[in-house]
Amino acid sequence: MRDFAPLSRREFCQLTAAGITGLSLSGWLDILALRAAQGQLKHKACILLWMDGGPSHKDTFDLKPGTRYAGEFKPISTSVPGIQISEHFPKLAKLMQHVAILRGMNTGVSDHNRARYYMHTGYREGQGGVIHPSLGSIVSHELGRPEFPLPNFVAISARVLGAGYLGPRHEPLVVLDPNRGVENLRASVADDRFNDRISLLEELEQGFYRTYRTPAAQAHHTMYARAVELMRSKEAKAFDLSQEPASVRQRYGGTRFGDGCLLARRLIEVGVKFVEVGLGGWDTHQNNFPRVRELSAQVDSALSALIEDLHQRGLLDSTLIIWMGEFGRTPHINNRGPQPGRDHWSRAWSTLLIGGGIKGGQVIGKTDAEGATVVERPISALDFLATVCTILGIDYTKQYTTPRGRPIRIVDRGANPIKELL
Amino acid sequence: MLGKRWGRRVKSIAALWAVLAVVGWVVAQVNQSSTPSAKVSVQALPTEQVVQQVDAIILKHLAAQNIRPAGLSSDEEFLRRAYLDITGKIPTAEQAAAFLDSREANKRAQLIEQLLASPDYGRHFADEWVRLLVPRDSQNRLLRTQPLFDWLTEQFNQNRPWSEIVTALLTATGTQQENPAVTYFLANQGLDQITNSVCKLFLGNQLQCAQCHNHPFTNWKQNDYWAFAAFFAKVQRDNTLAAAKQGTSPGVRELPRIALRRNLPESYKALPPKFLGGAQPQLRASEPLRPVLAKWLTAPDNPYFAKATVNRWWAKFFGRGLVNPVDDMHEDNPPVYPELLDLLAQQFVAHQFDLKWLVRTITNTQAYQRSSKPVGEQPADPTLFAQMPVKPMTPAQLFDALAQVVGFNRNLAARKPAIGPKPGFNVREAFIIAFSGDEGADPLDYQAGIPHALRLMNSPMTNADGIVLQDALRRGESPEETLDWLFLGVLSRRPSAQERERFLNYVAQRQYSRAAWSDVFWALINSSEFVLTR
Repeated sequence: MRDFAPLSRREFCQLTAAGITGLSLSGWLDILALRAAQGQLKHKACILLWMDGGPSHKDTFDLKPGTRYAGEFKPISTSVPGIQISEHFPKLAKLMQHVAILRGMNTGVSDHNRARYYMHTGYREGQGGVIHPSLGSIVSHELGRPEFPLPNFVAISARVLGAGYLGPRHEPLVVLDPNRGVENLRASVADDRFNDRISLLEELEQGFYRTYRTPAAQAHHTMYARAVELMRSKEAKAFDLSQEPASVRQRYGGTRFGDGCLLARRLIEVGVKFVEVGLGGWDTHQNNFPRVRELSAQVDSALSALIEDLHQRGLLDSTLIIWMGEFGRTPHINNRGPQPGRDHWSRAWSTLLIGGGIKGGQVIGKTDAEGATVVERPISALDFLATVCTILGIDYTKQYTTPRGRPIRIVDRGANPIKELL
Repeated sequence: MLGKRWGRRVKSIAALWAVLAVVGWVVAQVNQSSTPSAKVSVQALPTEQVVQQVDAIILKHLAAQNIRPAGLSSDEEFLRRAYLDITGKIPTAEQAAAFLDSREANKRAQLIEQLLASPDYGRHFADEWVRLLVPRDSQNRLLRTQPLFDWLTEQFNQNRPWSEIVTALLTATGTQQENPAVTYFLANQGLDQITNSVCKLFLGNQLQCAQCHNHPFTNWKQNDYWAFAAFFAKVQRDNTLAAAKQGTSPGVRELPRIALRRNLPESYKALPPKFLGGAQPQLRASEPLRPVLAKWLTAPDNPYFAKATVNRWWAKFFGRGLVNPVDDMHEDNPPVYPELLDLLAQQFVAHQFDLKWLVRTITNTQAYQRSSKPVGEQPADPTLFAQMPVKPMTPAQLFDALAQVVGFNRNLAARKPAIGPKPGFNVREAFIIAFSGDEGADPLDYQAGIPHALRLMNSPMTNADGIVLQDALRRGESPEETLDWLFLGVLSRRPSAQERERFLNYVAQRQYSRAAWSDVFWALINSSEFVLTR
C-alpha cells in the first residue's frame, strides 16, 4: 500500500473501526466534526510571499551605496540600529525588530523554472524521475490536520508547484483572484434543493457501495463529504474578503498582492497551515529601477500590515513569513534596452524570514563590496529549506517513500540550518 | 523467519528433497522463460486458442491457491467497461440500449470488433501515450502536443505494428511540423530524461537509479546506464521555449558526431554505446546511432520489448500488470503468472506486434470479462485477476464522458479557458491537467481531491441542462421511460427497481418539473458509478 493514497486501506479501516460502516454524507459530517473537536494540536503555520522573477538584492535588502553599480536607490535606517534597507520600504523599516535578513543566499540555479522548482522543493527538477513536493505540500503533510475542513495548503498565485509524490490530498487549493475566493464553493441551487440532490446522490452511493465495496467508491464518497463540509463550514467564510472593512484593505495597499496577503492572514487565523502569495514582475532585465520601486511599495504596505496584524493577534510567533524569489540579480547594470536593467544572479542574493519565533532584528551573511559573491555565512537552498523546516518544527531529515517505493528525505543530505535564528 | 518456519515444517530428508526438486524445477522454468531464444520461431496461434490458454493459466493458478474467481460480468458491466477501456468513451443511451437488448449469442465479441474499428480507439490510445511520452514539466510548457496526438491517433487506427511506431518515435528527425514523432525527443531534452523514458516505456526497466549509483535492486550498473544513454548522444534538439516565442516549429537532428551539450548531469560518464544487457555494436564514427538502437530494441528476439509491451497493455485493461510496477521488470520482481507473460509476449511477436490483436485477445478472455462484484466480503487481490477491479476513469475519460453527457459543442472544448494552468491549453487539456494526479501513482487509486468534487458539484458544466437530460425529456413518453433514458445516457444501464421507485417518487412529488429531473441528472453525474469503470 502506498503511503500517501487519498484514502489508504489503513485509513479506511480506522474509519470503519470508528463505527462508520454504512455510507452517509450526513454521518460522515458528524464524524468529521467530532474529530475536529478532539485534537487541537498547536502547530506553527507559514506564509510564503513568492517574488516571481527574482528580486534585485542590491535594490532591496543588500544595498551597496557608493559603489559603481549601486543603482539609484538610497539606504534608510531601520528600527534596529546598524541595519539599513532600501528607501522604498519605509513601513517595513519600522518593524525590523521582527525581521531577519539573509544576505548570503548562494544557490547556483539561474533559470527561472529550474530555480523556482529548486527553491520550492530543495531538489533539481527531474532528479531521479520524481516530481518532488513543494514546501506548502510538505507543511500540509507534516502539520496539517486531516479532518480540517479547508485544504491545509492554499496558493494565492498563478504559478504554484504542487504536491508531487505526496499526492492529491496535499495539492494546493489555488485561488487566482483573492476577490473571487475559491471557485465553485457555492452550490448553484438553493440550500434545500442542494440537500435534496445530496439525498438522491446518497441513494445511488449506497446501492453502488453495497454491491462493489471498492476503496475507489469510498474515496469518492470521502472527497464529496469533505467538499460538502467545506461548503457548509464557517471556515469557508475566511475566503470572503468583502467581510473586511475598506480601511483594512487600504492598509494592505489595495492591490491584488495586498488582498492576497490579507486573505492569507484570514486563512491562517482559521487554521490553514500554509499560504503562498505570489507577486510577479521582478524579472527586471529592463527598466529595473522604476519597476523595483513600484513592486517594493506593494510589498512594503502588504508585508508591514501583515506583520502588524499577526503581531496584534498574537499569531506572529507561531507564523513564519518568508519573503523570497528564485534568485537575485546581477551586481552589474546592463544597458541593452532603453532603460537599464539587471539580469539573473544566483551566487549572492537575499531573502527575509519574519516571525515564527525566530530572533528578528538581525542580518545573517554578507556579500562583497559589489554584492557579487558571499563572503560570510553562505546559505544554500538546502540550508534555507532545512532552516524553514526547523523553525516550523518539522524534522527535515525525515524520509518519505514515493509511491514507487523510493526513499527520499524531506531535505537532501548536506543541509546546515542557520542556528543564529533559532 | 522464513528459515525457521521451513525448518519446523520440513520434517524428513525426503520432504526436503521434494522441496529442492520443486525449487529446481521453478528455477529452470524461470531461466527458460527469460532466455530470448525461447521466443524466436514461435508460430502464431489463432486468437481463440491464445484466449483459451490465457484463461487456463489463470484458472489453474487460482485453483491451486483455492481462490474462487468472480462470475461473468453482467452485460451492463461489460458494456461500459469495454467502451471505456477500448475507446475511452462511454456509450450513448442508444448504443447502451441496443447492446443490452440484443439477443445475439456473440454480441460481446462483436462489440469488441466494433470498438476496435471505431476512430475513438486510436484517439484513446493516443491520449494514453501522449501522457506517457511527454512529461508535464516546466520545460514542456510551450511544447505543442496536438501534432503528436494526431500522428499517434492515425498510427493506432491504421494498426501500424508497435515495433514500427516505436522505431518512428526513436529515430525521428525534422521539425515538429514535418514529423510530429520528434515531439518525443523534444519533450525529453536531457540525456538522462530520454534514457529513463525509453527504458521505462519500451523496455519495462527502471534504469534511473543507476544514473548516479549502481542500481540497489537489480544488476544494472552505472556504466550500463551511461553506455545505453550514449545512443542518444548525437541527438540535437531545438529549445522548445525559444521556438514557441519565435513562432517556429522546433526540430530534432542526429549529428554525425557527439552533440555538444550543456547541463549534463554530474554523474555523466562518456562511454561507447552498448545495448542494455547486450553487446557493444561495431559502429563507424559518423554512423547515426538511433536507428541501430531501434533495430535492436524492436527485434523479435529483444528480451524486453515484447514483454514490456504486453505487460503495459495488460495493466491498462486490468488496472494491474502481470509485473508491477509495469516498468520495473527484473529478476527479483517476477510476474505473477510467468507462463502467461511468456505466452502473450511470444504470440505478440508472432502476430507481428499487432496491437489490435493484443487488445482483442485480452478483452475476449474470461479474465477480462469477469464481474467486478466481489465474491466474498472484500474485493479480491487485483494482482491475481480473480475479479475485475473497479478503476477510476482517467482525466481524459472523465472529460469526454462529461462532454458527452452534458453536451459540449466542439467550440467549447477547443476554446481557451478564461483561467487555467497555462496559456495555450484548450479546455480539455486544462481539465486533464487539473484532474491529473501523480504520474507514478497507482491506477486503481482514486486521485481526485476537494477542488475536483467542488467542480463536479457546483460548476456550470454539471448544472446546465445537459444533452442527455434534454434527450430523455424529449424521448420519454412516460416518466418511467424518461428515467430509463437518463440512466442509460449517464450510467449506461437502466435503474434498479429500488432506484426506479425512489427517483420516480422524487420527480412525482415535484410535479415532474424540469428542475426535479435536473436534480436526478445532477445526482447521476456526481455518483461514484459515473466516475468509475466497474
